[in-house]
Amino acid sequence: MEEWWYRSASGARIALRRRQHSASCRELAVRCPRLRLRSLSAATSAAWLAAYGLFVLTENSMVLSAAIIITLVGLIIYLHFVKIDQESLLVIGSLGIQVTSSYASGKESTTFIEMSQVKDVVINEAIHMQKVIYYLCILLQDPGDPQGVSEVVPLFQSSKPRLDCLIEVYKSCQEILEQRKTAPQSS
Amino acid sequence: ENSPSPLPERAIYGFALFLGSWFGFMLYLIWAYVPETWLFSLGLTYWPQKYWAVALPVYLLVAIGIGYILLFGINMMSTAPLNSTDTVTDNFAKKQQQKKFQEEAIPALRDIPISEVNRMFFLPEK
Repeated sequence: MEEWWYRSASGARIALRRRQHSASCRELAVRCPRLRLRSLSAATSAAWLAAYGLFVLTENSMVLSAAIIITLVGLIIYLHFVKIDQESLLVIGSLGIQVTSSYASGKESTTFIEMSQVKDVVINEAIHMQKVIYYLCILLQDPGDPQGVSEVVPLFQSSKPRLDCLIEVYKSCQEILEQRKTAPQSS
Repeated sequence: ENSPSPLPERAIYGFALFLGSWFGFMLYLIWAYVPETWLFSLGLTYWPQKYWAVALPVYLLVAIGIGYILLFGINMMSTAPLNSTDTVTDNFAKKQQQKKFQEEAIPALRDIPISEVNRMFFLPEK
């Protein structure tokens, strides 16, 4: 198992981990930086100071309890639905590609794409919020047209690795996908 | 002919527009500043309310300001999302014809599929 350190598009440090399970099976995982204690306490203090200011203005103590409840519920929702800990890609040569996102609360959401539906894994460039970004995506085959692309599945949306990390992941995936052409197709 | 060289007709149009815009501006100033009683005494009673002399320029300037923001927003909304096939291909690329390869000639211009482009950029040739 190998691990390399890279930077994400926003400058945070991310780790790319690669495991070779067998000749045709590889797992690539990108780990995002954890939630920092100082940013958590800064956000909580800002919210509670604002609530205290509102309490001083309105003399209503419900504001303080509401602020505490909103902060706690908001933190739980953020950890369970927003903050992604690790995004991994499991490429099994003859079977398919599995994409897993694990959230900070421990939730994991998985998507599996069968190998016959996968046309290719490419690094695509697109305009996103006044910037042009590189992102890795899976091109799904159009059943009617052998050259056509029916759908584009973007990967690593939260960790947003930069081009050097994407090139490593791309090369690893292509080594496995190339075996599809040399091995005889069985339908 | 669409050449930008000066023509006599253009000079006449330009001068007519110049006079017309000066006349319109003077009329606007008179309507905005001259008190209503003076205009009534002259017999000119059917004018719009003077409120509009201030309201219309304000409307125009606010509309221009919002127009900047609106254009920005429309641009962002019509950008294709990251998961759409428009980032990879479009109708013209799908229907393009493959020209035959000729020896000693520059290859014809065509849209290269993204898989081929990626292989060329990112996989080192052995």
